Amino acid sequence: MSNEAKDLLGNVLTADERELLELYTRLKAMSARDDLPPVATANVKQAMVMLWNACNDLAIVHEEPGCD
Amino acid sequence: MSQTESPYWNPKTETLPKEQLRLLQLAKLQRLVDRAWHTSPFHRRLYEKAGVTPDKIKTLDDLRRLPFMTREDWMACQAEKPLFGDLITRPEDEAIRYHLTSGTSGRQPLRVLDSRKDWSWIADMWCYGFWGFGIRPDDKVFFAFSYGSFIGFWGAHYCCEKLGCLTLASGNMTTEQRVKQIVELGVTVVCATPTYALRMGQTAEKMGIDLRRDGKVRRVVVSGEPAGSIPAVKKMIEDMWGGKCGDTAGMTEIGTIMFFECDHQPGGPHIIEDHFIEEVLDPDSGEPMAYGERGERVVTSFGRGFIPLLRYKTKDLVQKVPHTRCSCGRTGDLYEGGILGRVDDMKLVRGTNVYPRAVEAVVREHPEVEEFQIILSRKDNVQDEISVKVELKPDQQDCWPRLQAQLGKDLADAHEGLRFNVELAAQGELPRFELKAKRLQDLRPQY
Repeated sequence: MSNEAKDLLGNVLTADERELLELYTRLKAMSARDDLPPVATANVKQAMVMLWNACNDLAIVHEEPGCD
Repeated sequence: MSQTESPYWNPKTETLPKEQLRLLQLAKLQRLVDRAWHTSPFHRRLYEKAGVTPDKIKTLDDLRRLPFMTREDWMACQAEKPLFGDLITRPEDEAIRYHLTSGTSGRQPLRVLDSRKDWSWIADMWCYGFWGFGIRPDDKVFFAFSYGSFIGFWGAHYCCEKLGCLTLASGNMTTEQRVKQIVELGVTVVCATPTYALRMGQTAEKMGIDLRRDGKVRRVVVSGEPAGSIPAVKKMIEDMWGGKCGDTAGMTEIGTIMFFECDHQPGGPHIIEDHFIEEVLDPDSGEPMAYGERGERVVTSFGRGFIPLLRYKTKDLVQKVPHTRCSCGRTGDLYEGGILGRVDDMKLVRGTNVYPRAVEAVVREHPEVEEFQIILSRKDNVQDEISVKVELKPDQQDCWPRLQAQLGKDLADAHEGLRFNVELAAQGELPRFELKAKRLQDLRPQY
C-alpha cells in the first residue's frame, strides 16, 4: 500500500488511518472467500463491516455500503 | 486526551471547517449519484426524465439538478413491483434487516431492507448523537421501546452495544416494571418518546418512587415527537428524572437519525453533515430558504446502501441556523427548535404517523358506520390523544360495544399499536360534507 494514500479530502492518511485501511482491506479480501468455515466467514464479515464503518466515517473510503 | 474525554464521536469530520465539509459532501454526492444511476432502476428513471447524468454533478450546487424523490414515488414503485420496488440496489437475500413505516393509503407501508453495512452505519449515526450528548461506555442505557417492525430506537440499541454500554431492552414490560428496573439496576440513561418519558415519571410517583432521589438517571434521550424540542416539555422531563433531556430525530426512510442535540443543549439539534445534506426549501417553489427561515426539509443520505435516498422531500417543517449558534465546536448547522411540524396533512401522534386517509380506509371497512370524525388533542399540554368519533347508521345501534372494540383494534393494528379513543356520536351530531370532507380536527397547540 502506498504511503501516499489519501482520504476523500485529498489529505495524506495518518499512520493510524493507514493501519485502519490496511486492516479493512485484508478483512474485505478474507470475507469474500468461500472456502472458509462458516464460523470464520460470518465473524470476519462482521469485523470487516465494523472496520468499514470506521474507514467510512473518517472519510478514508467511500465504497458502496450495500456491498458486504 | 483519553478517548472517553473527547466530546466528539468523530473529531475529524464533526469539526471540519465548512469549506472542507462541502468538499467532502461533494465527493460523497458524486459517488452516490453514480451508484444510484447504475444500480437503482427507480433512480435512473427519475434522472433520465430530468435529463441528468452522473457526470453533470461537478459542484455541490449541481445537487439542484437532481429531481426530488417523494414518498408517493416510492410507494408507487413498491405497488408496481412488490414487495420492495426497483428502488433497491442489492439482491434481497443480502439484507439482514426488514422494517416498515405506517401507510398513507389503507395498509400499504414503505418497506425497507438493510445490509450488514447499512445496519452498522445506522447504529453509527446514533453513536454521533449519544456520544455527543455525553453517553459513555460505563452508562447503563434503558430502552422503553416495543422492538417491533417499526424502526424506532432499534439503531440506538445497537449503538449502545457498539459503545460498550450495558444495554437494556424492555420489550413488552409494563410501565411499572420498567420504572422498577430503572431504579433497581441504577440505569443512567433512559430512551423513550417524550410522552412516555413523562408517563414513566408519573407512574413512578404513583408507586412512591422519587426518580431524582431513588434513581441514577443523568440523561433522557427522546425521539419520535416534536415535543422533544419544546422547552417546557424538556424542563418537565428534566425536573422529573433529574437528568438532561436531549432530542433526536430520525425517519424509517433513512433508518437512523439525521440530527441530534449535543451536550451543550443549544436549543436545537446539530445536523450530521458528513453523512447527510439537509436542504431547507420553500415547499411550493422549491427555492432555498435562508438561515432562520422556515421551510421543508429535503434530505440526501450517504449511508444506506440498499436504498439510495437523494433529495427526498420529507415534508418536515424546519428552520436552519448556523453552527456558530452552539459553542460545542461542531460545524454541523442546527435546526432551531427541532422539527417544527409538517407541511402536509400527515399527523404525528406519539411518534406514529397518522394519515386521515389511512384512518378512513380502516373505518370504512365497517359498513355500520355512517359518519366519523378524527380529533387530535393534547392532554395536560403534553400527551397527544387521537379520538375517532363514530356515528352509526340508525339501524345499527346495537352493534356498538362490539364495533367500538373492533375498530379500536383495527386502527391500532394499522398504526403500529397506537391507541385510538373510539367514541360514539349521537345521531346527526357530526358534520356532513358536499365536496371535500374535512373530517380531521387538530386541536393541539401549534408552535
